[in-house]
Amino acid sequence: MTETSETEIMSASGCPVSHTDYTVQRPLFETYELLAAERERGPFLWNDSRPRPFWMITDYEHVLEALQMPDVFSNEVISALTPEHTFDLLPQYLDPPEHTAMRRVLNRWFAPAAVRRLEPLVLRRCDELIDELRPKGGCDLVSDFAIRFPTDLFLATLNLPISDGAVFLEHVENVFKSFAGRGLKQAAISTEWIRGYFDQAIAEREREPQDTETDFISRLLVSAPGGEPMQREDIITICYTAMLAGLDTTRSALGYIFHHLALDPELRHRLTARPELWPKAVEEFLRLYPLVYMDGRLVTRDIDFHGMPMRKGNIVWLGLGSANHDPEKFSDPRAFDLEREQLSHHLSFGAGPHRCLGMHLARHELVIAVTEWHKRIPDYELATTDQLYERGAQLSINRLPLRWETQDWETESQ
Amino acid sequence: MSAKLSVDESRCTGHGRCYTVAPKLLSDDDEGFVTLRGSSMEITDDQLDDAEEAVAACPERAITLTLDN
Repeated sequence: MTETSETEIMSASGCPVSHTDYTVQRPLFETYELLAAERERGPFLWNDSRPRPFWMITDYEHVLEALQMPDVFSNEVISALTPEHTFDLLPQYLDPPEHTAMRRVLNRWFAPAAVRRLEPLVLRRCDELIDELRPKGGCDLVSDFAIRFPTDLFLATLNLPISDGAVFLEHVENVFKSFAGRGLKQAAISTEWIRGYFDQAIAEREREPQDTETDFISRLLVSAPGGEPMQREDIITICYTAMLAGLDTTRSALGYIFHHLALDPELRHRLTARPELWPKAVEEFLRLYPLVYMDGRLVTRDIDFHGMPMRKGNIVWLGLGSANHDPEKFSDPRAFDLEREQLSHHLSFGAGPHRCLGMHLARHELVIAVTEWHKRIPDYELATTDQLYERGAQLSINRLPLRWETQDWETESQ
Repeated sequence: MSAKLSVDESRCTGHGRCYTVAPKLLSDDDEGFVTLRGSSMEITDDQLDDAEEAVAACPERAITLTLDN
């Protein structure tokens, strides 16, 4: 069957066809407008904007249902936009039961109990970064804070030296730039560097084993998720994946959150005055600003999914972002509402067996970042009137210039 | 009246919302799952509010509260 005839069949069967290309950079928030428009056309669409067209599932109920059906919707594909495996990722590309076994090894490292143990370090690093920025009276939040903070914590989580952060970051950026399918050559070179970095870290631990309770790689070296010791290449891939998954998303979330707070002083003051509300606020920000707004999946067998004739080998877009803004699930979905019912039902971390491994760490980092920031810099504003942009494929604000009055803190009595 | 709170093991994937909203009632294990995963517990009258909160917080719809009169 050719792509054209597939699209013709979909169109003839009454399934709306979308031509929207989600890989391109757009003015800030335009992606959410497009996603809302798609959802209003129907719960299922057929998108032919990419070389391999795909089904789009847009409403909350069906997205959640599909996320919970890993036997039908396989993780052999995790992006509807780039279904080919540009980078090897683990455990994303596994399905149960292999996936379940590997997650059992990894969960422990990213569970709330593990995150709590990391708290003193998270606090210290966060405070150091803010104290460095505060006397400057302004910064690009994205590059000066939002990416440095999670990079350092990522290294700390893996018990690797934080001092490697800066050089590491340069290569990480090259990989992120390729998310929308561009700059692949540079990304491949940087991927090789990053994998080499982890390979060296493994070699060091093979020579001098470390405590498997506190050292991530040492633990992986002695673990046997499927009854077999983990392959060296797989350990490298897991480290690489954790890095890809944890750094860009945290940066991006901070970008959208600070953009919102810069433009809403009333909310900012309310939260600064009542810091115990930050965890709830972060949860609502996560719902309001989904960054990974789509999970891709591969259909494993012919199935009629609520009237849609899905074929084995089809690609499916599970619309996490449009689900988060589905008015059937969340009333007045584009508004920030701390009192919202079922606030924790958002799909920004996905759902089902592949729900984000790092979700507890992410929440913790975000809450600490906004809490500590507003203790020190409670008032700030956007330092530009330029149009801001967001990267396609996986949303991220390109830059966020902020400024604040420095005498506010210089005259404080604390 | 008696009430029972159950967590479906196949649906629970460890979002941790239940023990976050009802920390007096539920707790987390080393992997981040609620310790009640795959089992159930009797709920007393003064635990009922917390149990309802936990049910409502779960994005996977893995938690059920059954009331017997």
